[in-house]
Amino acid sequence: MKRALALATVVMLIATPAVASAQSFWAQLGAVKGPVQPIKFPHDIHAGKLGMDCLYCHYGAEKSPLANIPAVSICMGCHKIAVADRPEVQKLAQYWDSGKSIPWVPVYMLPSHVKFNHKRHVRAGITCQECHGPVEKMAVVYQYPSLKMGWCITCHRERQNRADSQNPTIMDCLTCHH
Amino acid sequence: MSEDVVFNRRDFLKLAGIGAAATLSGCAQPPTDRLIPYLIAPDNILPGVATWYASTCRECPAGCGLLVKTREGRVIKVEGNPAHPVNQGALCGRGQATLQGLYNPDRIASPMAREDGAWKKITWEDALKRAAEKLGQAVRDHRGVAIITENATGSFEKLAGEWAGAAGGTHLVYEPFSYESLREANRRCFGLSAVPHFDFERAKMVVSFGADFLETFGSPVAQARGFAAMRARPESGFFVAVEPRLSLTGANADQWVAVRPGGEIALALGMARVILTEGLGAGDKSLGEAVAAYTPEAVEQQSDVPAELVQRLARRFAASRPSLAVAGGIASQSEQSVALIAAVNLLNQVAGNVGETVRFDRTLNFDAVAPFGEVQRLIQSMDAGQIDVLVVHGANPVYAAPAWSGFAAAMDKVQYRISLSGMMDETSDRCDLLLPSLHALESLGDAEPARGVWSLLQPTMKPVPMFDAHPAGDTLIALAKASGFGAFPAAWSEYLVARWQPLHKRFGAGKSWGAFWDESLARGGVWEEPDATQVKWSGSPAFAAPALKGGSGPALVLYASPNHYDGRGANKPWLQELPDPTTKAVWNSWVEIHPETAAGLGLAMGDPVKVETSAGSVTAPAYLYAGIRKDCVAIPLGQGHTAYGRYANGRGVNALDLLPASQDAASGAVAYLTARVRISKAAGPADLAMTQREKQQADRQIAQIIPVAVLLGTAPAPARRDTSESVPGGPGSSAHEVEEVEAFNSRPGKYTEPREMKPGEKTPAHAVTAYEPIHRARAARQIPISEGAYKNAQHRWAMAIDLNSCNGCQACVVACSAENNVPTVGPDLIQRGREMMWIRIERYEEKLDAAASSSRNDVRFVPMMCQQCGDAPCEPVCPVYATYHNPEGLNAQVYNRCVGTRYCSNNCPYKVRSFNFFDYSAPEKPTFAFPEPLNWQLNPDVTVRSKGVMEKCTFCVQRILEGKGNARDENRPLKDGEIQPACAQGCPTQAIVFGDLMDPESRVSKHSHGERRYWALNDLNTKPGITYLKKMERETA
Repeated sequence: MKRALALATVVMLIATPAVASAQSFWAQLGAVKGPVQPIKFPHDIHAGKLGMDCLYCHYGAEKSPLANIPAVSICMGCHKIAVADRPEVQKLAQYWDSGKSIPWVPVYMLPSHVKFNHKRHVRAGITCQECHGPVEKMAVVYQYPSLKMGWCITCHRERQNRADSQNPTIMDCLTCHH
Repeated sequence: MSEDVVFNRRDFLKLAGIGAAATLSGCAQPPTDRLIPYLIAPDNILPGVATWYASTCRECPAGCGLLVKTREGRVIKVEGNPAHPVNQGALCGRGQATLQGLYNPDRIASPMAREDGAWKKITWEDALKRAAEKLGQAVRDHRGVAIITENATGSFEKLAGEWAGAAGGTHLVYEPFSYESLREANRRCFGLSAVPHFDFERAKMVVSFGADFLETFGSPVAQARGFAAMRARPESGFFVAVEPRLSLTGANADQWVAVRPGGEIALALGMARVILTEGLGAGDKSLGEAVAAYTPEAVEQQSDVPAELVQRLARRFAASRPSLAVAGGIASQSEQSVALIAAVNLLNQVAGNVGETVRFDRTLNFDAVAPFGEVQRLIQSMDAGQIDVLVVHGANPVYAAPAWSGFAAAMDKVQYRISLSGMMDETSDRCDLLLPSLHALESLGDAEPARGVWSLLQPTMKPVPMFDAHPAGDTLIALAKASGFGAFPAAWSEYLVARWQPLHKRFGAGKSWGAFWDESLARGGVWEEPDATQVKWSGSPAFAAPALKGGSGPALVLYASPNHYDGRGANKPWLQELPDPTTKAVWNSWVEIHPETAAGLGLAMGDPVKVETSAGSVTAPAYLYAGIRKDCVAIPLGQGHTAYGRYANGRGVNALDLLPASQDAASGAVAYLTARVRISKAAGPADLAMTQREKQQADRQIAQIIPVAVLLGTAPAPARRDTSESVPGGPGSSAHEVEEVEAFNSRPGKYTEPREMKPGEKTPAHAVTAYEPIHRARAARQIPISEGAYKNAQHRWAMAIDLNSCNGCQACVVACSAENNVPTVGPDLIQRGREMMWIRIERYEEKLDAAASSSRNDVRFVPMMCQQCGDAPCEPVCPVYATYHNPEGLNAQVYNRCVGTRYCSNNCPYKVRSFNFFDYSAPEKPTFAFPEPLNWQLNPDVTVRSKGVMEKCTFCVQRILEGKGNARDENRPLKDGEIQPACAQGCPTQAIVFGDLMDPESRVSKHSHGERRYWALNDLNTKPGITYLKKMERETA
């Protein structure tokens, strides 16, 4: 009995931090992480090297709760001509030609009981990078923050405690959970 | 459905094993869904933001304007169109439930043909070929072809007519509630066959002779709005209901005259005679001869209404100028229904109401609806084998025509029967070929529901992909083309556009066709104020009381169900679960019996009772109702389907089976009030699910009234209740105490937080509850409540509900279910008290007397939802802080924090929290409430709750957040009335007002400080955010 208890404790001790720190651990290391996408879309080239505005593709972010995954037509707006010979772009063209959309693998997933509103955050002057990390440097986009509630709250609490805090419901549960 | 899915032990273990595996693998990369973006982004869709389209409701012929809310291309809610002249922004429950017709899982999925008695799926091509073969043959051989449609009005009706003409056949517009007696009576009395526009708003007194104008009669939403406006005036607005069975409309009356069935005619004429003989009326004085025989004493003999009362009613009716008498409801449609309506016309004529409150300007469009005589002619020709091909669209005569008419049997003799219905209803089920049509929300079309209104329907979404349906107009055109008759445009849309050209000339002066069309679509149609047709009295038919058939038993009253109309609502789970407004029974039929009559038969509530006539018999649970005469029983229509999908099929009984062959003598309309029945107790257990069994409020003062004399200052305020003496703000409390409560409700900071009791302050003895004040139950707060977010609060959300306007229609309940993803649970769970609705209408029968001499009628309706208490009993008992008070006065419920102790619900004095005992959102569970594609309706802004979670009204916090966000985007303060919870938005009478108590100018502030305000269960000191306004109590006649 004692041994079983001890074993369980040990397993728990090992398991808990391992799971909890998995994200941040890999994030620090900068190793390849994030899901394999149907097309290796390089955010570092588009947002970094080319300096494209995030809102060019994710145009919903400033006017809708959802940031919006761009339609294939937006990609093809440039890639009909631009670097149309690259293999990944040809994959894109294949999707376009066959009339199929690209089944992207989601990176940022919130549970259904959380209602996050992009518009409110963008209009409050929060940059995309504050939450999504240095996307302009990411060849493969990965989940940068933990997306745990504590992570949200840290920022919300800091803003609430500012002297000029104008929003009495910034820390209210109902703002996100309804 | 639920019986099919039963786990045995082995399956359970297998599933448990899979569950365990899933749990273990949860440590690895979680399995993900895919994100599928658009191929080409549509211009009009921004994911996450709702798009609204204007359209027209097709759930009844009233034709209310709709605003249809779509998200990511699917319809998630329908609301009334504020610009539309018919309903001006509100919508009844049936209209809001049209969504569940669109997403009904039992819609016909593809064309089907009957082969060897079984349905076989076929392609559209094949289907059209088969239909054209039969149809072409019939047309070439000059054999009979018939098409039956509902009262679609507008272009579709014209197309169907032309189609039938080209095929050499007949077009029949079949509508069970056809108002043909009303039209016929108006033709005889005024020379104009029309359903008039009743102006309730202008009337100073209304007498309804069995017209359920708040439920199904005429244009209920518009009438409810006018009626509420009339009732808002304390100095007038008296309403008398004359009917043997008190309907929902009658329950709103100040006085119920429980007239003998069929005695309404005598009463109307008797009142007219009193007005004429005493020279009181403002109207026609030449009609004395017609009513000479109806002395008050004679009326008393024929109707059981005391002679005295006849005189008093008549005098008051004549003195209230203009007044209004209405008749023509289904429940009073007897063999003399034209006579009854003519009698009421005469009463209006002598009182001078014709042209004032009975107007022939915006008349309802029932012009094309076939009289029942024509239906019978079609039945005869079908029976004689003269009809080779029958096409049915939208109508369901096999169910809705009474059994004695023999429609079903005659239809079986038609060689080839084609249904264009979207649902497999009883009529489709008897057909040979199904060519499913699109739902109204997926279709382009128009309607002319009333004179001067041309209302448009537009496709608000792409057709639901699991149903391979076509627009009915296109199907008709394709059929004609394939069968080689007629010359029609290539498409239905072309036909429609051509029909709108004259309207373009008339309304779109100077605008291009495109601009005019786009504007009209966006507005919902075009309309104008029609000129009133002046009518003159042209004579009345002979008056005679109807004779009831069959022995000496109780009279059978069949009434139109406020939820299901003529039966077309029965396939929608929201409407099945929506309690009947007067009985609060769900998912069933019932037989309403007076408690004394029931006692004589040994019947208790819910006991099965057998009702027999010469035509047939039905067995249904008994509902003991003090609102029905002792010599009557009543059964609602609309249930007892033998097809029409899983939600309708097999629920309750079809009371039409009881009708003996009987028609109105003058118009030929089906007589519903025509039989006497034998009733007996049947074997079996009591089985009637009801959401509210209690009819009395037992001195709890939940629904309060105030005599109009007090409001008008002619009488002192009523004596205060003893129990509330010590309660601040309670009835009869001192001015200082009232002030304190008002201050609490309207000021920021600590007043939006639970109040701390002063040292030494004791809870009044009557207000002792099981809960401890929050500061005693928990440790002292770290941040004092006078600081932090609560101090800076900018709003105190609150609601004012006017019980004088609420008529119990329950449109708010459906609106709430639609907005907040509230599941339906079915009758078994409701019998165990597990209904999930967030708002309910409580009805209290304070005084109901079935004697015709009765003076007062006092039935009260109280919309009851979370009161958003300032000092909420639910909050301190939650062990996990899942329910708490937010800075804006909302009593929050955080689903993901809730662990399901149910302490909050146990401690809630209003019983407005509902608990997810089962997983209503899990497809694999038998309790699943949203079978595909019903789940398409779910509002993405609201969490779908899972098992073990408590839920309740949130004041539609998602709408509050959206409203605040919109204001912030435009950098402006919130406007009053900008945020409307679903219930307030849908209310036909605007009984529910929502707003910010911290804005002293808001409507809710003004209501909450008015003379009539009170708080429910105020003794408990819960400081509700909902203020009720007392119902006005008027002097009876």
